[in-house]
Amino acid sequence: MLLDSTVSANPEGRLKDILAKFEAVAANPLEYARDFKRDSGKRVIGLFPMHFPGELAHAAGALPIVLQADDEPVTIGQGSVFNFYCGYNRSIVDQAMRGEFAFLDAILFGDHCVQLLGTADIIRDHLPDTPILFNQLISIIDAEWAMEETQGTFRQLWRELEDLTGEKISDDQVRHSIGIFNRNRALIRQIYDMRRAGRIALTGSQMQHIVKSSMIMDKETHTALLEELVAKLEAAPPANNAVRVYLSGHLCHAAKLPILDLVEECGGVVVDDDLYTGYRYIAADVEETGSPVDALSRWYLEKNKKIPCPTRADKDLDWEDFLLAQVDKSGAQGLIVLMVKFCEPHMYFYPEIKEAFERRGIPHLMIETEHEEMPMEALKTRMETFLEIAKRRVAA
Amino acid sequence: MQMTSEMTPPGGAKVASPVFGNGMRANRLSTTKRGGKLVNDYWADLFRAKEEGKKIVWYNGTYIPPFFHAHDVAWVHGEAWAAYLAAKHGEMPAQQKGEARGYDRELCSYARTHIGQALIDLEKLKNGTLGIDDDDPRAETMRKLPAPDMIINAYPYCSSGQQWDDITYRLFGKKIPIFTISIPLLWGGRPDAGYMQGEEWQQRSQYVAKQLVAMTKFLEEHTGRKYDFDRLSEVMSYVKKAATLRMEAMDLCAATPAPASFFDWIVSIAHVNFLPGTQAIVDYFEDVKAEIQQRIADGVGAVPNEKYRLFFDGMMNWNKVGWLADKFAAVDATVVAGRYTHMSFWQEPQLVDLKNPVLGMAQNYLICPNNHGAPIMIGEIERVCDKFNIDGMVMHASRTCRGMTNSQFLIADSAKKKGRQAMFFEGDVADESFYKDELLNTRLEAMIETLEAKKRAA
Ligand code: SF4
Ligand code: SF4
Repeated sequence: MLLDSTVSANPEGRLKDILAKFEAVAANPLEYARDFKRDSGKRVIGLFPMHFPGELAHAAGALPIVLQADDEPVTIGQGSVFNFYCGYNRSIVDQAMRGEFAFLDAILFGDHCVQLLGTADIIRDHLPDTPILFNQLISIIDAEWAMEETQGTFRQLWRELEDLTGEKISDDQVRHSIGIFNRNRALIRQIYDMRRAGRIALTGSQMQHIVKSSMIMDKETHTALLEELVAKLEAAPPANNAVRVYLSGHLCHAAKLPILDLVEECGGVVVDDDLYTGYRYIAADVEETGSPVDALSRWYLEKNKKIPCPTRADKDLDWEDFLLAQVDKSGAQGLIVLMVKFCEPHMYFYPEIKEAFERRGIPHLMIETEHEEMPMEALKTRMETFLEIAKRRVAA
Repeated sequence: MQMTSEMTPPGGAKVASPVFGNGMRANRLSTTKRGGKLVNDYWADLFRAKEEGKKIVWYNGTYIPPFFHAHDVAWVHGEAWAAYLAAKHGEMPAQQKGEARGYDRELCSYARTHIGQALIDLEKLKNGTLGIDDDDPRAETMRKLPAPDMIINAYPYCSSGQQWDDITYRLFGKKIPIFTISIPLLWGGRPDAGYMQGEEWQQRSQYVAKQLVAMTKFLEEHTGRKYDFDRLSEVMSYVKKAATLRMEAMDLCAATPAPASFFDWIVSIAHVNFLPGTQAIVDYFEDVKAEIQQRIADGVGAVPNEKYRLFFDGMMNWNKVGWLADKFAAVDATVVAGRYTHMSFWQEPQLVDLKNPVLGMAQNYLICPNNHGAPIMIGEIERVCDKFNIDGMVMHASRTCRGMTNSQFLIADSAKKKGRQAMFFEGDVADESFYKDELLNTRLEAMIETLEAKKRAA
């Protein structure tokens, strides 16, 4: 079990312990989930990124986990997915082939990305006994009928979860789950606020461990640890001469840790991000009163206003405007775009970001990340040069 | 998903490769030449549309032009335009322009070409010049594409198709009104699911139909004219007739030798995809059907010595239509059918009720083959393969089109289980640099050898 609570006496030790626990779960999400299932006797339901709320599955008495790419090279998956698909899809297919998902009681699908739709079919084919609750959320979120359609999607999902468990899910149960999830998100946002304000030091990797473990762990357990963490973080403020950077992009899955670590290694500090395994995941809360279906629908349709997502069509919002504002707000000296290789939505919108940052004269660095080995030495040189430019730009 | 007449190889085209196969060439239908004229007429009309005071819609995705035709607005299909440029070898400047702005080469090459061309157009607007030299023969064509007054997106299945228009909208400074229709995937997971049946099918049909009606309101709003649904019925009467004839003519190709091939159907896609619904397309498919009937009577095949019958899976490699047609002919293989040609473009015309056509139109849009979950789609592919007595599958792994590569491993697996051969080759829809001729040659030869051995053993 990854979560035994060995207690350190001093606050710094305890801080390290909690972060180490988050890191351990983030490194082995399926191991955590299997242990949880064995120990609690509860169902575990796999969710696909980036828009499915875990609240309904939680209300159905299950542990919802966001399925993650793992670090294994894609081997047997190669016979089922082309090498020009993003690392997330290839890794997921490979894990499915390796039987990693066989313990899941169901998988919730519903995103719009064409590559994920392909993966849904491959998983259905290879895991014929695993129920796949496929409910595609409308991607045109400013359409006249978006609300009605989203409500219909969540109602259908609700029914399918009831069929899966054989038990009714009441409005109160869902509201209760929403409350639990909101509390967890609020705490992570609080950590983000503290980091943005320069009051605490957390590396990009540590922040990722916090969010990634939240995507996996039992929410209440995670929340209890977060509460402790928040209280202890202020004891270790950051050094203040590092170059402040904002991390953007990396949809659907967590960036590789060595890439994140390069930022600090080369003299930078991450002050904020819009990564999916980052602020994007916790940016928006769901209302805790009224009809839960309406609340979840509003959450889905409005969370784009918090952080625009390139996989959604929304005429009024522009990712680049949002990023410029965030960079200003966080006092970042530069932007690092982490782009998953072969990620089409990101590839479409990147030129908009690039131009906007060039127009404003804010340094930015684009790093394309691959599932397979990355040329770290060359990357390090690019990172150093970028941070040097960012530093000089401010000094000038 | 498009095609122009330019792709028909000019008479006297070289064989696919002097060292490949037996040097035989495809025996293409002669009626498709006349079809090429219709396509050229469409473009000529389009280039005049602005002068004639017509509003222009740029659209992407499924075959919604009857809605535009009935409302007297001119339409530009983004994919068709990309294919048109590719056919005139004008795709390179457009793709380079896109790349210069940061569009990655792994993005849908249709989108890259179209977006790149829009960038060239915008530059032209700004400077009063084209991005290429005025004496460049391509300049003439590119100068002519009318800028949009409206953008409509109706892309089944593929998210890339939707994001593409999102970018076009932004490139034009968000000043052109845009309307996007959701055509959701028919996942087919409910107990009553099946091809064109079940609760999901019923719900989704109504959903898309409702959006199509909303699209007519959008057209009304931006033209200031009332939408005429009787006109839509009239336009659809021609489309339905043409589509029915096309399906009948295709079915005739179950004959041995097959009188027409996939490549003949490829050059006939524009007619059911985006040409105006008039008597001309009906006449065209009548002629195609008549030529096919005549060939059957004469025992003439699309490939001189048909020995093997193949199915083409995947998006067309638009720069390679004639090349590929000859390549298969050179190994005595007829590509008889394909997912792209036989399972799309009004392939269920009977669903369209001419008194109230919108629902049936919505349903035809929904059954774009990519838009089915794999089990139902593969069931349909197998039905087509059985009907045409297919020996093997040629899977075009089109590098930048995930919309069509998504289920290809499952399709190949299923084919093998049914005793059919399957091979993959690499290429792309509109980016020639991904095409690997040698790989195709080797794999095709290997597959033919296996088929040969199987025939001998039988
Ligand atoms: S949105 Fe990008 S990262 Fe996510 S599945 Fe699609 S291609 Fe991969
Ligand atoms: S990727 Fe394929 S299906 Fe998608 S927009 Fe491009 S050509 Fe169309």
